[in-house]
Amino acid sequence: MSSTSNSPTGSNRVRIVVATSVMLTFISYWRAAAVILNDLGSSAFYAGGIAEQAIGKSAPWFVLGVMLFAFAVRAVYVESCSMFVRGGVYRVVKEALGGTLAKLSVSALMFDYILTGPVSGVSAGQYIAGLINDTMVIADTRGWIPAALHHLFRGTPQVGVNATAVVFAVAVTLYFWWQNIKGIEESSEKALWVMQITTVMVVMLLGWSLVTLLKVGGHLPPFPTLANIHYSDESLGFWKHSKLPHMFGILGLIIGFGHSVLAMSGEESLAQVYRELAHPKLKNLKRTAIVIGVYSFVFTGLVSLLAVMLIPDNVRMKVYSDNLIAGLAMNMVGPQVVRLAFRAFVVVVGFLILSGAVNTAIVGSNGVLNRVSEDGVLADWFRRPHKRYGTTYRIINLIVGLQLFTIIVSWGNIYTLGEAYAFGVVWSFVFKTISMLVLRYRYKGERNWKVPPNLHIFGVEIPIGLASVGMVLLCTAIVNLFTKSVATVSGLIFSIVFFAIFTFSEKVNRRKHAHSAAQMKEQFQLQLAENVERETVGIRAGNVLVPVRDYNTLNHLKWVLERTDTHEQDVVVMTARISQFGSAAYGLSSEQVFSDYEQTLFTRAVSVAESFGKKISLLVVPARDPWSAIAQTAHNLESSAVVSGLSSKMTTAEQAFGLGSAWESIPEPKQQFLLQIVQPDGIVDTFRIGPHTPTMKNEDVVLLHRLWLNVTREPGLENIHHHDILTEALTRFARDYGARDREDIVKQLKRHGTEAGPLPVRRIADQVHTVQPEPARSDRDDGHREDAPTSSKVPGSE
Amino acid sequence: MNLSEILVKILEYMFVAGWAGSAVVLVLTGIEDVGTLLDREDEHSH
Repeated sequence: MSSTSNSPTGSNRVRIVVATSVMLTFISYWRAAAVILNDLGSSAFYAGGIAEQAIGKSAPWFVLGVMLFAFAVRAVYVESCSMFVRGGVYRVVKEALGGTLAKLSVSALMFDYILTGPVSGVSAGQYIAGLINDTMVIADTRGWIPAALHHLFRGTPQVGVNATAVVFAVAVTLYFWWQNIKGIEESSEKALWVMQITTVMVVMLLGWSLVTLLKVGGHLPPFPTLANIHYSDESLGFWKHSKLPHMFGILGLIIGFGHSVLAMSGEESLAQVYRELAHPKLKNLKRTAIVIGVYSFVFTGLVSLLAVMLIPDNVRMKVYSDNLIAGLAMNMVGPQVVRLAFRAFVVVVGFLILSGAVNTAIVGSNGVLNRVSEDGVLADWFRRPHKRYGTTYRIINLIVGLQLFTIIVSWGNIYTLGEAYAFGVVWSFVFKTISMLVLRYRYKGERNWKVPPNLHIFGVEIPIGLASVGMVLLCTAIVNLFTKSVATVSGLIFSIVFFAIFTFSEKVNRRKHAHSAAQMKEQFQLQLAENVERETVGIRAGNVLVPVRDYNTLNHLKWVLERTDTHEQDVVVMTARISQFGSAAYGLSSEQVFSDYEQTLFTRAVSVAESFGKKISLLVVPARDPWSAIAQTAHNLESSAVVSGLSSKMTTAEQAFGLGSAWESIPEPKQQFLLQIVQPDGIVDTFRIGPHTPTMKNEDVVLLHRLWLNVTREPGLENIHHHDILTEALTRFARDYGARDREDIVKQLKRHGTEAGPLPVRRIADQVHTVQPEPARSDRDDGHREDAPTSSKVPGSE
Repeated sequence: MNLSEILVKILEYMFVAGWAGSAVVLVLTGIEDVGTLLDREDEHSH
């Protein structure tokens, strides 16, 4: 039995190539901006209302101030990304201040992330409940409510706003919990689509508001002076009975600023998308920062201002405090029905963007906890994959459990949620900025951009800009500790509990990892490589790539080994270590990429290969999504075939479409390959990935031949070939498609598509043949099969 | 003036100084941002 080892050192240990760079599909700055704005922009729906409840009518000036200051905070993020490709809070704080403070900063960040879900879900619920109630009132005044219903509710039918918000938030959270358990990933395309719809709403809102202002007039909110700041009972927290807030004018400004700071939540996403930005990265990051800065200033800032200018004082906080944009829509000039319709549009947009933020919260928290878990800070128990879907379901359960708890405990009180949310937002910024200040003196590596201005005195750099931003954030965070009692208590308890869990887990893990590292040393030899190259893996071109994920389903590996002579053709078994959204913000070490799970998976794969007496090469690739990982690895290794098992979530056609789409993103030059999907019942579907000669229907071949016969009868066209007919037909098609007949062509193609199956699959990866089902086979782990091979062809040899 | 009032005063000075410095950051980065936006070279906006 030949060995599975291909160690260059001649050792008996199996060599595994571990790629340390995450394989990503890069996105434009518009898409990056859309992803961030799905989180950042959602705060426009509740930030203004929360701020006004806390400090009174001058709140919009504070919100505008926060949105302006957010440009400076963004500059800090741009500098951190110019130093570390993964420049998130955890990485930067760990680099500057060490592991302990990094754990503390991540705890604050987790508080921010976990609260994003409840605050967004509840806010969306408030908008929906508000719309239902107001529609009922209007319907009632017009006599459209049946008397029986009127009698049942003892008046106009109304829903409980907070209860509806809680039910809605719980439902949305549970929906996204299930989506995340199943591992369905968000796409930048969807984010872009949501932002396009949101932009339509914002333009309509601003335009209509301007018309209303011109017609009925309006007054600017009172300027933010101590006399104009009216603290609510809750807004002073521990200083409720203190004279301090009433003594100092600037302290009042800090308090107001602190109550509005949640308007810039979501900035951390900037660091998380940086890794995925297309070239030129830094320039595109700056463009992303400008887009999100201007957008959020206009949306969150101006909407808060217009709300105070256009919604009458007597109803603004009484009726619309929790759905300010809806209030704005209802107080425009124009017929009531049109205003109500626009409000419904606002609610739909709010539902989309706020629901998206609920998902971002789960995905973001999962990403952060996964990364700290991979860093040995959270016990491996949390990372154990779901049996069916392979997702880190325990972490997702923990996050969603905490979110549901928060929603129910708050009982739809958006003010309390928002205030608590600000704790995590501001403290993660503080940690980040202080760390960046420390790194100005400690970090000696490359830094492509610095927050200006910077003075140089006797050769020492004084980072005035960075220090200034840090001072504003620190003052705000300290004052918030006193004025937001609920946030301070809940935030501190949460952070301390998480910090304790992290510290305890780290200690346990250190002992455990020392043991498993010793075990692994005996069995595997890790070879780290920045990128996946054929030479690094030590294989020939035309190899077969076998992606594996679950050690219980290695049938496709057995199928390949049965049919492949590994002396002639190499077999590479790869697993993609999926890093979810945000994970690219952190560095990856070999322990992070090759964990206990990968060890078990490869032990099984090696055992299967040994049972066939054949040699395999092993490869671990960190990636953002599995399709990119497989397509890019197949491309880099010059594989002729990829043999995969059937996904638990997709059909074979969907799998082929996923891989085909990922292949399309790979820059030219690139080669085609075969995708073979081995199903548990033995059916093997084969697809060609990349452009290829299509399979032609018999009647089309007959038609082509008949045309050729006719054409060659024409004088002077005797030498025409079949392919000349096709060239002419395709040239005419391309011309017509680009001009007047496009609609007709699309209509016809749709008809063909409906008759012939799903169009996208046919477009990218035409199915070339399907191997018929085989007799029942044994699934013994020793890999010896009693059934006949499905095809005499070596995979990928076509 | 008691200790808490002195600490509040320090916070106020820090906040004002921080905002003054941040305003400079906004102006300088704003000028740079205009340049970035006008520079259409190697822009990838697919």
